Amino acid sequence: MELDFSFLLDYSDVLLKGLLTTLQFVTVAVVLGLIWGFILSLGRTSSIKIIYGITTVYVEFFRGTPVLVQLFWVFFCLPLFLGVELTGFTSAIVALALYSGAIISESFRAALKSIESVQYDASIALGLPASTRTLFVILPQALLRAIPNLLSNVVSLFKESALVSAVGMADLMYVGQNIANNVTRPIEILTAVALIYFAVGFPLTRAVSVVERRLLKIVKV
Amino acid sequence: MNYDFDWFYVKKGFPQLLEGLWLTLEITMWANVIGLVFGFLVALGMLSKVRALTWPLTAYIEFFRCTPALVQLVWFFFCVPILFNVWWSAELMGILALGLNLAAFNAEAYRAAIQTIPSAHTDASTALGLNVFKRIIYVILPQALILATPVLITNGIGIFQQSALVALISVEELMYQGRYLSTQTFRPIETLSTVALIYFAVSFPVSQLVTFIEKRFKRMVV
Repeated sequence: MELDFSFLLDYSDVLLKGLLTTLQFVTVAVVLGLIWGFILSLGRTSSIKIIYGITTVYVEFFRGTPVLVQLFWVFFCLPLFLGVELTGFTSAIVALALYSGAIISESFRAALKSIESVQYDASIALGLPASTRTLFVILPQALLRAIPNLLSNVVSLFKESALVSAVGMADLMYVGQNIANNVTRPIEILTAVALIYFAVGFPLTRAVSVVERRLLKIVKV
Repeated sequence: MNYDFDWFYVKKGFPQLLEGLWLTLEITMWANVIGLVFGFLVALGMLSKVRALTWPLTAYIEFFRCTPALVQLVWFFFCVPILFNVWWSAELMGILALGLNLAAFNAEAYRAAIQTIPSAHTDASTALGLNVFKRIIYVILPQALILATPVLITNGIGIFQQSALVALISVEELMYQGRYLSTQTFRPIETLSTVALIYFAVSFPVSQLVTFIEKRFKRMVV
């Protein structure tokens, strides 16, 4: 078995394009997921039973089923439900955003819960109205504490994004498999793809632990 | 929305889905066996402080944690047969890839657990004249297992969900059967929803169990 990595250079443009598509998917899904996740976490900490119930079922369902199933579901079933054609890109984004909202909401929720009741008492003692309390006392602290978890959510989303290749999106994984099929050199190309994923994923994971350590010093949970 | 639901084919194909679920559970179980055993060994190696051991193990852990499981799976499926000249079934490849993936995550869980064991235990083992193996098996392992249980179970369900990926290398587990049924019957909504519900029905109770165990632990520790 001879390995020859040199031919990869011919495909570097395509691979780069695939990586950009992957990053594009991740970015859009993370931004949408942050908004959706924050709304969900408010629902999850709400004292209104119906809102709490619905958001809990949603979050548990999306965390309890494989992302691949969700992806296929959105891809094949959502257009039927809505009665409109969705492009593959839209379906993949919708599926990833729905999933990332569920996992991100858990990070927000944990952060909201970690704020001591003393903070609430102090706000009341200072005569702060509920809106000021939420915006200026609770939210900044919650955000700060959620950062490490949010970052690791981004990492896992980055990894899950490889799944969109299964519904024909031309991301890094898809491009890699395509080339591998065409040139019948799976080892070189798949290894290269894995290394590219690693080159992005590893610094991200490192960043998570650095931020975590820094934050522990500031917050002293 | 005006869609007529027709559950006839789902009912008819349900035994097929259950067969798929059975295979999914089998894959999950074997991947967990690899993950639990190999993960512990890796954790021990990482804590050994022997450079020649910790370096490759760190590379292994980081690599499996920082790349998509799908990439690992496809890599195993296509490259291992060529590199090592072994022609195993797709199912076995899936189990191996998922198992090694799980082991990397479990190793971190074990390591965190082992590090919380007070060093006094090591001293006590030495004072009692236990050799290294006895210390590992009777002193460290039981405590590490208990301390790491919530994370280990969470990782275990994670692999249950990730096992849907092996459908892409055409192992006929739950996801594969669901897709097959949906393309055969042109009823994606009914079949894929059923598949999602089956996955949920298995993983939800287990994740509730984790929450329960965690609460118990907190009471034990405090």
